[in-house]
Amino acid sequence: MGKRPPLVVLSSSSDDDGGGGRCTASRGPSTRKTRTPATAPPAKQAPSSSRKKPRRGSSGGRGRRRASETALSGSLKDEFDMLTEDFSECLNDLGVSGSMRQTEELWIDKYKPLSLGELAVHKKKVEDVKNWLEEKLKAPKGTFGGRSLVLTGQAGVGKSATVKAIAAEIGADLCEWTTPVPTLWAELVHANSELEYVSKLEEFENFVNKIRKYSLLSPTSIGSPKKLIIILIDDIPVTSGKASFARLGKCLTGLIQSTQIPTVISLTHHHKNEANDTATWNSEELESLLQGAGAHKIVFNPVTVSSIKKILLRICKQESSGTTEELVHQIATSCGGDIRHAIMSLQYYCLNPRRLDSALAISASLSDLKGHATLAPAQDCYGLGSVIHSPCGRDETLTLFHALGKFLHNKRETHGDVNIDLDSFSLKEQLRRNPLKMDVPEMILSQAHGKVRTVADFLHENVVDFIDDDAVDDAWVVMSYLSEADCLLAGSPIASARWTVNESNESENMSQLIAASVAARGVLFGNAHPSPSRWHTIRSPKVWQIERTFRSTKGLILKERFDPSSTSGSRNFSDVVTDFRPFERWISPHNDMARNNPSRHDVAGGPNSIDMLGAEGSNCEEDEDEIEEW
Amino acid sequence: MAASSSAAAPADTYDIPWVEKYRPSRVADVVGNADAVSRLEVIARDGNMPNLILSGPPGTGKTTSILALAHEMLGPSYREGVLELNASDDRGLDVVRNKIKMFAQKKVTLPPGRHKIVILDEADSMTTGAQQALRRTMEIYSNTTRFALACNTSSKIIEPIQSRCAIVRFSRLSDQEILGRLMIVVAAEKVPYVPEGLEAIIFTADGDMRQALNNLQATVSGFRFVNQENVFKVCDQPHPLHVKSMVKNVLDGKFDEACSGLKQLYDLGYSPTDIITTLFRVIKNYDMAEFLKLELLKETGFAHMRICDGVGSFLQLSGLLAKFALVRETAKA
Repeated sequence: MGKRPPLVVLSSSSDDDGGGGRCTASRGPSTRKTRTPATAPPAKQAPSSSRKKPRRGSSGGRGRRRASETALSGSLKDEFDMLTEDFSECLNDLGVSGSMRQTEELWIDKYKPLSLGELAVHKKKVEDVKNWLEEKLKAPKGTFGGRSLVLTGQAGVGKSATVKAIAAEIGADLCEWTTPVPTLWAELVHANSELEYVSKLEEFENFVNKIRKYSLLSPTSIGSPKKLIIILIDDIPVTSGKASFARLGKCLTGLIQSTQIPTVISLTHHHKNEANDTATWNSEELESLLQGAGAHKIVFNPVTVSSIKKILLRICKQESSGTTEELVHQIATSCGGDIRHAIMSLQYYCLNPRRLDSALAISASLSDLKGHATLAPAQDCYGLGSVIHSPCGRDETLTLFHALGKFLHNKRETHGDVNIDLDSFSLKEQLRRNPLKMDVPEMILSQAHGKVRTVADFLHENVVDFIDDDAVDDAWVVMSYLSEADCLLAGSPIASARWTVNESNESENMSQLIAASVAARGVLFGNAHPSPSRWHTIRSPKVWQIERTFRSTKGLILKERFDPSSTSGSRNFSDVVTDFRPFERWISPHNDMARNNPSRHDVAGGPNSIDMLGAEGSNCEEDEDEIEEW
Repeated sequence: MAASSSAAAPADTYDIPWVEKYRPSRVADVVGNADAVSRLEVIARDGNMPNLILSGPPGTGKTTSILALAHEMLGPSYREGVLELNASDDRGLDVVRNKIKMFAQKKVTLPPGRHKIVILDEADSMTTGAQQALRRTMEIYSNTTRFALACNTSSKIIEPIQSRCAIVRFSRLSDQEILGRLMIVVAAEKVPYVPEGLEAIIFTADGDMRQALNNLQATVSGFRFVNQENVFKVCDQPHPLHVKSMVKNVLDGKFDEACSGLKQLYDLGYSPTDIITTLFRVIKNYDMAEFLKLELLKETGFAHMRICDGVGSFLQLSGLLAKFALVRETAKA
């Protein structure tokens, strides 16, 4: 099945000089536009691609680097497309392929942005990248360095897509690093000695070396000034351990400093999570290293909800699937700025439009489903399973905010019917609460699929906003419960060390559950006088940001300590922090940014740290999720 | 496989675990999670499966539904069209790079709209490195090969992979759903039972179908009769009703009875961890005033923490009951 038609056009047109670029830009989208409406609904488009499948099945394996097709083949292909289309129309009339309704591509491939207009990324960001690329492509040859760009950002915010779309727009060739299939270590051990084991890292190094050499030759020697090349490095080898990381770093630094072709390196940010600490260390470290080597950095923010929505709606229209506005809205808000995941979920949720509505209805009326709550007392000594399926979303998304909103808003019945506890004994007046207008907190928690630590942090950060201004003692109660939940959550270090893996998992699981319900119930119980409901935003916990900054600063300081060229040579850590740092800041004038220190990891000297803080600040603004009344 | 095994002769009935014997072979037969299952049914019918992450607690039908889906979609070409790797297979970085990539490049003739499927079971136990290596493979070969990952916590899958997949969440099965399936099995195996026995099995399973079936089979093969005592003998948990009456006694102010109840449990040989785990589950579902529930849960949590620290003495448990009584006293009007 190989490439989609527009993609082939893209790569082939880069060879014909002159109008190539413009041609691509206009032809890419237009081919699709003319093809789709010409033969009405998607039902007819389907067979055409299925026809093509066996014939071009071979091209799929060859990857994306097959960039040199002649312009001739482009026009031939168009002809071929038309033919197959006619052919399939005939087939359709005969009713042979009537059962084929859906196209067989993933929607993320099918609706890959082909022009700048289709990108979901912010216009200004695209402009930035484009300007940078154009400038570097025009820049005179011969100068070394300064031609590399680092794109960072979360997964799925359109880093690679932007570069690809821009390359298509300005008619440049994209050269990507694809990892070759390696020999297995086991094969190597058992095979004859002919095979040689080459690690990914070595292969990557070879690739980089090749680029550096060829960059001197190719563009000038051919003599055609129009052949523009951009190198895109997307799949940076995974390194483990310091030695291999150092090698990778050296290799990339060399590339950055010597490349003559614009090179784009895309790095994906990971969210903080304790499980894979090594990986996060890797990407952050690498980023600062690359920047130190003189790479220009552009941070991609998560895609805004409105632009995701726009794109999703467009896809819906083209697929002519009967999706509701609500669903699109829900997907868009819950994907956390990840356009790729949004499209993926859309494809999944479009599978069955009939079921869809009921799922939505369930989630919409979740708050007033008291019928489900009655399930619990009926068989109270047995665990109750959740019946309601939660809607889409990546972790830490809508469902979590949904749950948080419920806990924070703390909706209760207005007139107290306390007859439940009358049969046992009556409570003190101030400990009495009206029944909750929601499901059992444990059930909400289990549906939120969030981590307990996350829930507790979020509650801690936001709960004060929701308590009435005068009710200080309520705040006391809430905070004391939260602190107890925190204590339960931390558990004891002895336990995890002493127990075998299985058992400690079990016990940890239970303490997590308890901590979660103490936190949630504490907030619900303690907040006796909720502030009148108005519009609130839920902030992401500041603790996380502080911790992150703390860790990175500490890392930088440690690094500088071991840097022999730096002034603060072999002092211990506390000395550096308490004495040197303030002193340095004090004696150096404010505007003296550089201090003429060649060291790359300059802590006190503004640009790095300020830049970093700025980036983080904007990040956390993006993190904010708004909730209103649920 | 379930289809072939269910046709086995009645003589070797006890040779196959019932979990395997009654594993649904069609997506439509998977119990619970109606929304997710109905979508998977559509995929099984129409093909063009997107990359999926199935996440949820154990025993909720993730692996079952993905295997059934693959069988239904590919039919006879299952053998060459599916690559299944689980945690017991070698799934390091180079295996992902080599095996999966080779499989993705392999040419298999499949009906239109169908793709090769790579099933990665227990994907959360894959190393980060291996997951990283998977990232590009997923993208490049998306028009011939699709991925289905099953895991317990989707947060252990790295974000780039999550971003490339649609996440299908499975939640714990409700008691009715488990009961429905148990009834089928009970009828098919002609198991003698009383309803309370099945109820007990459902309590011990806690929303986990696999455990429910295993407990059922264990009870049947041990005692040939499913009633409450037999189930709790086999599964060996403190009896929830006993624990419940203990809590009730405390809340009613009958502290002596509660203590003797606890002593009884302890003398039966249950470890403090067992007792406190059951206690937690009972309190969670016990119908009491909000403040009491919160305080009781909190105290249980702290007691659990101490027990995990190694202070698993009888004194701790009695102290816990005493604290419950204190909470009651402070709350009382």
